[in-house]
Amino acid sequence: MGLITDSGQTQYESERRSQTTDVAISFDGATKSYGSLSSGRKKKKIGPIKLEVKRGEVLGFLGPNGSGKTTCIRMMLGLIRPTSGRVLINGFDPISNHVDALRHVAYSPELPNIQAFLTPQELLSLVSHEIGYGADRPKETIRSRPDEVKRVLELVGLLEYADTKIGKLSKGMVQRLSIAQALIGSPKTLILDEPMIGLDPAGAAHFRSVFQEFASEGGDDTRGTVFMSSHIMSEVESLCTSVAIIHGGRILYQGPVDDVIRNVLDYTMITLEVRELSPQIIERIRQIPGVDEVRPNADGEIDILVRGNSDIRPDLSELIVRSGAKLYTIKSTENMLERAYIEALKKDNGMVR
Amino acid sequence: MQKVSTSGAGSTAEVILTFARYEIKRAIARRKVLVLVAFTVLLDILPYYALSSVGSSRIPSPADPYIWVVGIFGLQPFFLNFTAILIAAGAMSEEYEQGTVELLLSKPVKRQAYFAGKFIGGYLLFLMILALNTILSLGSAYTFFGSQLGLSILPGLFAIQALASLLFYSLAFMLGELIRRSSLAYIFASAAFFASFIISTYIDLIDTLTGTTIYKSIQILLPTSPANSLPILYALPQLPSIIGTVLRFAGGGTAIVPTISLSLAILAAYTISGIVIAALYFQFADISRRVS
Repeated sequence: MGLITDSGQTQYESERRSQTTDVAISFDGATKSYGSLSSGRKKKKIGPIKLEVKRGEVLGFLGPNGSGKTTCIRMMLGLIRPTSGRVLINGFDPISNHVDALRHVAYSPELPNIQAFLTPQELLSLVSHEIGYGADRPKETIRSRPDEVKRVLELVGLLEYADTKIGKLSKGMVQRLSIAQALIGSPKTLILDEPMIGLDPAGAAHFRSVFQEFASEGGDDTRGTVFMSSHIMSEVESLCTSVAIIHGGRILYQGPVDDVIRNVLDYTMITLEVRELSPQIIERIRQIPGVDEVRPNADGEIDILVRGNSDIRPDLSELIVRSGAKLYTIKSTENMLERAYIEALKKDNGMVR
Repeated sequence: MQKVSTSGAGSTAEVILTFARYEIKRAIARRKVLVLVAFTVLLDILPYYALSSVGSSRIPSPADPYIWVVGIFGLQPFFLNFTAILIAAGAMSEEYEQGTVELLLSKPVKRQAYFAGKFIGGYLLFLMILALNTILSLGSAYTFFGSQLGLSILPGLFAIQALASLLFYSLAFMLGELIRRSSLAYIFASAAFFASFIISTYIDLIDTLTGTTIYKSIQILLPTSPANSLPILYALPQLPSIIGTVLRFAGGGTAIVPTISLSLAILAAYTISGIVIAALYFQFADISRRVS
């Protein structure tokens, strides 16, 4: 028998239930309506949202401003109630069972409004008390609370600002702190709302590796789950295993990154870094089924546009190697997710900003 | 060190305590509390200095050993209630205005624990200011008028004053949660306080002129009545009769509500209503995003 939780279950039961489902986050037809005709404000509706994020999945949540991303995140966190449908986090309703739903879940808000009168150290200490850091583990098996605060401050590069008032920190530092408070206690699920905003390139690269490490280890034996809302497509493409595109309050596409790109676009792009490629071989590449266009790009590489879903890379590499040309790399063209994203919005109703 | 997830959830009591400490720190960081403390110091020293310097024909000298009541009761009708309003009205609303509530409630904590922590934290801060008022009054009375008598009632009087101030504290706390704008919550809570005070005075006048009991009954039910009557009803029977003169001088000599039990009942009705309405609204309403 473990500790009794706020919902009356033992903590063991709560943990067991949350671990029996392999779905970390699920939206089951959740909707949210704002405003009303009587109040004179135009009524706005988000949803119905149908979305699942499995454990260990790193999902990029994409959508233009006002498409409903933050509303979805706020429903996940139990800050707002769905008007209809439901949201489950680790199998629990975050409204009626907030504590069990958000156990081991951490959130880093976009452009966070953090308590300016506290220092980073005080904020992280506050958060560690809120989440009951280490309450369910023998003390000798974990770091002390001050050590955990120090670890996280060091991880985000704010150790030397530990005692500076948050109000005096730069925007980028506050963003780092927002991520830091989410990493206290090594949660199993991270919900990140535009985590890279305000970070310098070095900072963004650092946090990319932090999130990658989190996703591969998850602060436990299992892989971590990440739900990341972002406008930076390259970040999503490099970090995420899957994406969901939301527009006008509706999920347009959801699935593994490559699948979504293929579903949205009716073509893929391949880039070759190759030397001594003869015109004859270029012509033979053009004849591979699916190849629509072959053209050199500004970097001296060859871009190949492939219609449909066929993967021509094995045939292509074999052809080039046999011809005697020197093939250095063969890769899917970057920014395909961005192209797919823009195309998805165009297809929906042309509301591209 | 084994790498395990240690982000669970704190016990409700620990979380309430955490939020109470946080609220005290947050409120102190606001300049208004410093202003309140400065006013407390001023209001508790200046009257004694003035009285000892120029004297007063209205206060008989046998009352000198009980002069501490001037500071204790002189502030109750306005300053203490207004202090309670000022602290409580911003406790919830300022978090919405600054958008800081979102971060706190995105953790695995119960909303009730947050609510309780904020309420208790703000109230503890109020008690600190009340204690400062008591200490300064005593210190000033002792400094300017020598040894003081009748101090055995002070602990009980402190508790009664704390209880009496809970009425406007909870009303302002409720308004802060319902309106979610600190300045509007201050205005409405202060308006309720002053309106009650003015109406009470007006009704008193009509009652005196007409002698109709219904006016007295209405006056008793006004929120300022139990809040200001309770300390007087508690203290006056335990002090020499001459203190009545001093209390009238201090502006708090007459109890509108006739008994302690009735005062407590009216006070409880207002206080519990305020807390319950605020708690229910907070439990079921969405957490709004930054509102200013």
